[in-house]
Amino acid sequence: MAGTKVQSEVPKTRQRPIVRLGVLLISHSLLVSVVCCTAGVLALLLLPVLAKNTYISENALMPGSASSMLSNQEVSEANKLIKDITSLYSKPSTAAIESRRLIAQYMSNLGAEVNYHKFHPQPNEFHPLHFFSSPDAGMIQENFSCASYGVNTVGVIRAPRGDGKEAIVLMTPYNSVNGDLQEALPLGIAYSVFSLLTQVTWLAKDIIWLVADSQYGEYAAVAAWLRDYHTPVFSDLSSLNTELCHDGSYILDLKENSNLERKISYEFRRSGTMAAALVLKVVYRNEVEDTLSIFAEASNGQMPNLDLINIVNYLAVHRQGYHVKVEKVWSLLNSKWLKILGEIFESLGKFVKSLNPDWKFGIPVAEYIEGTATLASSLYYQAIGVPTGPHGAFRDYQVDAITLEISPRVSFNNKDRRNDFLLQGGRLIEGVIRSVNNLLEKFHQSFFLYLLTSPSKFVSVGVYMIAFALLVAPLPVVAASLYAETLNLIPTSEKEKSAADDELGSVLRSWKWLNSAKRVFIVHLWGAMVSLFPYFISQIPNCTPTTNFHVWFLLSVFSLVILKWILGSPFSQLCGLQPQEEWAILKSVTISSFFIGLCLMSVINFATAEIGALLMVPTSLMAHPLKLDVRGGRFLRFSRAICNLVLGVISFPPATFFILKGMFEGYSGINAGDFWNWVESLWAWNSATYLYIGMVHLPCWVLCVHVLLHPC
Amino acid sequence: MYGSLGSRSPVMLMFLLLCTSIAFSASAETTLHTNNWAVLVCTSRFWFNYRHMANTLSLYRTVKRLGIPDERIILMLADDMACNARNKYPAQVFNNENHRLNLYGDNVEVDYRGYEVTIENFFRVLTGRHETAVPRSKRLLSDEGSHILLYMTGHGGDEFLKFQDSEELQSHDLADAVKQMKEKRRFKELLIMVDTCQAATLFSQLHSPGVLAIGSSKKGENSYSHHLDSDVGVSVVDRFTYYTLAFFEKLNMYDNASLSSLFTSYNPNLLMSTAYYRTDLYQRNLEEVPVTNFFGSVMETIHTDYAYKILSKKTFEKVKIKMPSEEPVDHNEQRSLQNSNVQDQTSDTKTEAQQCPFTSTWNSFNKKMEKIENIDSLVSYGLLIMLPLLLISTWLSRFWSSDETNGGFGGMSNRCK
Repeated sequence: MAGTKVQSEVPKTRQRPIVRLGVLLISHSLLVSVVCCTAGVLALLLLPVLAKNTYISENALMPGSASSMLSNQEVSEANKLIKDITSLYSKPSTAAIESRRLIAQYMSNLGAEVNYHKFHPQPNEFHPLHFFSSPDAGMIQENFSCASYGVNTVGVIRAPRGDGKEAIVLMTPYNSVNGDLQEALPLGIAYSVFSLLTQVTWLAKDIIWLVADSQYGEYAAVAAWLRDYHTPVFSDLSSLNTELCHDGSYILDLKENSNLERKISYEFRRSGTMAAALVLKVVYRNEVEDTLSIFAEASNGQMPNLDLINIVNYLAVHRQGYHVKVEKVWSLLNSKWLKILGEIFESLGKFVKSLNPDWKFGIPVAEYIEGTATLASSLYYQAIGVPTGPHGAFRDYQVDAITLEISPRVSFNNKDRRNDFLLQGGRLIEGVIRSVNNLLEKFHQSFFLYLLTSPSKFVSVGVYMIAFALLVAPLPVVAASLYAETLNLIPTSEKEKSAADDELGSVLRSWKWLNSAKRVFIVHLWGAMVSLFPYFISQIPNCTPTTNFHVWFLLSVFSLVILKWILGSPFSQLCGLQPQEEWAILKSVTISSFFIGLCLMSVINFATAEIGALLMVPTSLMAHPLKLDVRGGRFLRFSRAICNLVLGVISFPPATFFILKGMFEGYSGINAGDFWNWVESLWAWNSATYLYIGMVHLPCWVLCVHVLLHPC
Repeated sequence: MYGSLGSRSPVMLMFLLLCTSIAFSASAETTLHTNNWAVLVCTSRFWFNYRHMANTLSLYRTVKRLGIPDERIILMLADDMACNARNKYPAQVFNNENHRLNLYGDNVEVDYRGYEVTIENFFRVLTGRHETAVPRSKRLLSDEGSHILLYMTGHGGDEFLKFQDSEELQSHDLADAVKQMKEKRRFKELLIMVDTCQAATLFSQLHSPGVLAIGSSKKGENSYSHHLDSDVGVSVVDRFTYYTLAFFEKLNMYDNASLSSLFTSYNPNLLMSTAYYRTDLYQRNLEEVPVTNFFGSVMETIHTDYAYKILSKKTFEKVKIKMPSEEPVDHNEQRSLQNSNVQDQTSDTKTEAQQCPFTSTWNSFNKKMEKIENIDSLVSYGLLIMLPLLLISTWLSRFWSSDETNGGFGGMSNRCK
């Protein structure tokens, strides 16, 4: 608006085109926001159509160019290991120690370097100051109990002619306490590959096989091992620490089998930087065909390089004949509106093709629905920022890792079938390792920022950014237009008065947004407090999640009231603001702060920002005092009030959670504690989404509700 | 040129000196084809470019088998696949999945390896501008009678060839280097063979006479690998090189297959690209030029039982090369080719005799010597003659060297340094 002032003073100088464009956009803010928001939602729905086929970007990888060397000999050895381990289950008291020793012995017999890694599981606690800090900083175990500890078994094959500066990690979680055949099968696959790799001459990177003790959770075991791998300790203090906890049975074991134990030490064995890590699991889920599920999401929506998924997908589909799956939102598959949308896109694609056969647009309905379901799940798992498997621990150290979950067609009890299963799985792992072995540098050639719409299709950052950009574009425009309107709103009578008034009045008026900014700041401060409450609430012993949730809710409301009482001074009366312009300026500042928050979040975790924008942008743009709408009595205004109420309910975080949960999992058995549990998982995994909800989303919602209920 | 002669006996030196000093005024085209050189360059690094090293080593083996000695081959390999940790067969390189032939055997002399293979070093080799410390074995010591084969393989594009994943050799650079070589009389004829994508574009700037160029693909075309060795896990040879090698495998040192038969042997369907050859700078008819003029060596080596006999035997008379009984594909054409070739050689001798008056007397002298049956006496006779000749030659060479520094050659070599 400064521009118009300049024009009035010096009429001959024309404004710059960019300024004129800005003024044009601001003056048509309603149209801009409607068009942009619609286009943003539409662009998001179009993403499955715009998805590209994946391709292997790095030349060095050459997956599948070498024929598999894994033979029945290795498989029969692996079968022997499985048989030995399953026979140990009959004596549950010693099974844990015995199976560990058995695996170590098998590894050692192959000529690998073997060591045990002892770790103490860390309880999931809320560390308010540990967001974004690296996991090893200050996470020194202080008061662990000697009774609970896990032991990882680690085998290292040194590359015969490699430089020992790089390694590939193969990880199999193994619960030594209550194991069954399903637990032993990944060990069998990994062992068959491991025994082959001890013989080959083509290794350029060391191979580390980590049998993670998963009795305290798979993630904790891997994270502990990775932490120790990356923080070498040079004093004897730590070893002393672990020695203190040696219980009697251990020393007995040492004496018994000293020959073997001398080879297998507690000394930590390391190799170089990790090029890639594969987590191998086997489940039995009554599949129609042999299925391989890929899990890739790590903390805060970080993904491994797309090339890693590509080579696994390529080898699994084209070499081993697996059916490859990634996570999907299953309930979306049957949704009617998606089907209709898919049909529209398909017919649109046909129409475009009839115009010009070279234009490829549109995909079949079934493919669209599948793509949308996969995209939604990809977006959701990236947005909550919680890793979908133990591979997440690797990503914290910038190691590309994925979890492979193999589910066979028939049960494992069939002996012949089991051999085939081991051979198939082993060949897949061998192929991936050989391909990664060819790598010269870290994975860097392909995408890190992408959403999957199927195992072989992806949407890259350049495409999905558009949807987000369109959604947030109206925010600054509307904020500016609201502010501009309040400047022009000053009634003429007041204008005449102010002409005679001193300068103070005009200064105050030009700074009147400061009052609203203060209010917005207070609410954001409150948001920070709300995010800190769970730390104290979780200290209360013996509480169910439901009571925790209620306590949290009450505390939040109470603190908001107190804050308003203390800090909310009637400043607005001081500078003579009309209530009419007060809500407009408040909305303008709210929208600006929300815009900044969203943009910051999109850098940290794009998916969170996208979902947050979907929920909150319409709410914040529509917000309008209900009193004014109801008073008017016209239908349009009334419908706006209803829209505002609905949006206001939907975008309240707990309400959003319960609505979505009810939609996808059914409304039966929902209780208030679920939300507490969900939030607990967020902070336990140091997810930035938690910070977003507490410090951006919730304050914005409160401010919007404040605008809705504004007494004007 | 004088450098290469320096290793021989003073007699020869003096003799040739006289001949060449007379013949020098004649243009380079009439210069005799004296020796063969090969510069074989693999420009790409990394394990997945295994096939480029295999290409180069296969060609190295072929030209060596066809008679170019190691000291006249400059082999540049940008990476060492044989010792790569990913190589399933340590210290071996194969160009075929049957693994019958190890290209990285005992007698492979790599002159420039690894990070030494740069565009700078490549140009230094071509133009002969080395630092003083560079050993002779790493220099291209060709002369104006040399036929040079320049083979390059790697990743190329429109008018460029990538070196080491960091530099690019452009067609202008190559043309400039060739022009410098021509001016410095470093070759008589030059065959440039390039196996890259869009190889033909690399020749577009060449202007120097006597240059023949062949590339694996035209502009806009890719050159493909021939097959994948699933045991080693990489592609082991490129199509163009594979079919070039297939052509040469049928030949031996004495075969007279012409260059045109090589050039027409490339089948675009098998190559999956169109082999392109540029002949407008080359004077001779391709059908009359045997491939061994570039891929082999025409140095006439005469086997003698006795070490000293070589002195007396050394003449410009061409030794008749025995033709093999079985001849390659085109019988009639080959025969005519051979005939013309023989004619060429005899006419060469004739002009040489005219140009050099000493030759005839020398020949008759030779014949006389051959008549002497007692070899011991021949030796003593020869040694006795050598003494005064040695004196004369040293005197002459001193005279000549002072002459050179003042004279035309000196000025020229100064300019080119």
